[in-house]
Amino acid sequence: MVPFELLLVIFISVALYIAVVLFSYIGLRRMKRDVLEQGRDAKRHMYEIAILKEIGDRTGYSLNIQKILDVIVGSLNQFLEYSAVSYMLLSPSKIVFKVDLDEPVSTQFIKDIRTRMLSSLSALLGRELTETEVEETITGAIMQGIPTGPVQSYFNIPLVIGEQLVGVLTVSNTKPGLYKESEMEILYKIVNQASQAVTKLEEVVKTEQGKIAAMLESMLEGVVMTDRDYRVVASNPAAKLVIGHKGEGALTIFDFIDAFKGVFDVRSKLEEAIKLDKILTIPEIFFGNKYYQVVVSPVKSNVGLSRGEILGGVVIFHDITHEKEAEKMRNDFTSMMVHELRSPLGNIKKIGEMMRSSKVLEDKKASSEYVSMLYESSSSMLDLVNDLLDVAKLEAGKFGVEKSPVDIKEILAERVRFFDTTARDAGINLKLFVAGVVPDRVSVDTKRIMQVLNNLLSNSLNYTSKDGTVTVICFNHKNGLALGEEARAYSVPWVLDNMPVPATTIPDSVVIAVTDTGEGISIENIEKLFNKFTQFASSVRQSEHKGTGLGLVIAKGIVMAHGGVIGVGSKKGTGSTFYFTLPL
Amino acid sequence: MDQAEQYKAVMSEIIAKQSIILGPDMAIARAKKVSGVEISEKGEVVSISGDTAEALKRLIDTYVELSGQIVKNALGPIFTKYPDIKQDH
Repeated sequence: MVPFELLLVIFISVALYIAVVLFSYIGLRRMKRDVLEQGRDAKRHMYEIAILKEIGDRTGYSLNIQKILDVIVGSLNQFLEYSAVSYMLLSPSKIVFKVDLDEPVSTQFIKDIRTRMLSSLSALLGRELTETEVEETITGAIMQGIPTGPVQSYFNIPLVIGEQLVGVLTVSNTKPGLYKESEMEILYKIVNQASQAVTKLEEVVKTEQGKIAAMLESMLEGVVMTDRDYRVVASNPAAKLVIGHKGEGALTIFDFIDAFKGVFDVRSKLEEAIKLDKILTIPEIFFGNKYYQVVVSPVKSNVGLSRGEILGGVVIFHDITHEKEAEKMRNDFTSMMVHELRSPLGNIKKIGEMMRSSKVLEDKKASSEYVSMLYESSSSMLDLVNDLLDVAKLEAGKFGVEKSPVDIKEILAERVRFFDTTARDAGINLKLFVAGVVPDRVSVDTKRIMQVLNNLLSNSLNYTSKDGTVTVICFNHKNGLALGEEARAYSVPWVLDNMPVPATTIPDSVVIAVTDTGEGISIENIEKLFNKFTQFASSVRQSEHKGTGLGLVIAKGIVMAHGGVIGVGSKKGTGSTFYFTLPL
Repeated sequence: MDQAEQYKAVMSEIIAKQSIILGPDMAIARAKKVSGVEISEKGEVVSISGDTAEALKRLIDTYVELSGQIVKNALGPIFTKYPDIKQDH
């Protein structure tokens, strides 16, 4: 007979043993579960890292979201069980629908996915997509005719780049309740990270594109860039101006083809430049009353694997109208100078030939006449050469004046006396007005100021008809006042017409002016007066007064070297006032 | 319909809309994690405890946290049906 106490001890011991074993078993199971869960977590995390690395490696986070999706789709079966993984991408004209099957499914299954994905996109866009063309591609397992289960479990991931919906990614299965939230969230995380990277890249690209667009906009040259299919990918406002395009819309290659019809075959030149991989320069085309130099060049990629690959072409229109005008002026000027030099040289040669004859040398009167003619011709040449040298000095910035205090009133009186004979011979009344306030001494380069006065006086006398009047005027100018008003105060003749807006900023100066009652100058000729290359032709007595036109150019240089200004007011049929200032 | 019922209806419609957008598995799983809101297996809001406006905000936030502002933008038409409830959450 076993005592009760012994039985109790045995029972407690057994119970304790069972409890220890049970707890140990439960503990071990829990530990095993935790380890498995940790293993799964680690696996998910590893997948997350691996897939993001793969996306980076294979696509370099390109702007092509489809490439990124293909990487995700291609490796998803390492991580998730699915019957189909699919994506839809929105484009302006269609929806790209790509399905990758991991196991055979029915056509109804594909239809279901397609409907659910379109519903998801519609809900996000807030509009129906039933009318939009869907371009379907199925890859992976072969679809069989046999019926398979319907879509039992699925989830969608909206694809957003730069806050814009671009598509949806869907994972689906024929088995129900397959996807755990944690698994779905990892895929969300991967897609979101890839989307954010693309968004950032897009922002960088947009910023860079913005800089290029701004640069293009500010260019004076017309620029048109095309892709390899000659579609215009970029153009600037200057290009629109070249072809006179006034519309708001983007330009097409046909706008240029039509505009340059019969003048320049833009398409052929682009083809040639791209085919030959060569920059072509068309030195000159005349189009729309303008001259253009046209450069056609292939455009090559300078980055990445596509470095050196021709991406398209660019056409640059450089407006050379001003250069052409300047060239014409230079040619005209050179011709004129040659002509001006040839006349006296021709005379000298002829006189020389005649003087070789002993008969002429014996005739003292004739000899004296020929020597005078030689002197005049050589003086004329020397004047011209001196003028050219002065202009050359002005252009080189080497034109200097040697100022010293002189009696400007005396200089004016002396010059008027000098020209008085010429004026009388021409029946012109030459007057001098000097205001009482003009100082006795003004610091000037006497020789050069006399050169200016000679030029103004001879011009006025040349262009004034018989019985006309030429008045030399001299008065003091006060800073802040207008010259015309000051002249009016002295009641002296002053032609204000076409004179620039009175500059009240001219410092205190002595003003010297020559006003005539001559034929006057037209506005367009006034603009040419002080230009080296433009010699205006007087309408009435062109041949009589034709000269090099350099006198006023030099006069301007002399006045400016004194710190003064020179100007003119003139009216056709009334007369002109040429003035210059000498700062006090 | 009193305001609490309106909130329940709005939240149920939000879950239904998100079920279309994200799929029911994800939409309901996320909704179930929102504190103070009891959700049925079909994704309907059974009860809300505490501040209803706060609960609505938490529900919307859970979807925004998952896939960004775009899913919130899609909720506009729901709120137009319930003018007493503002979508400034």
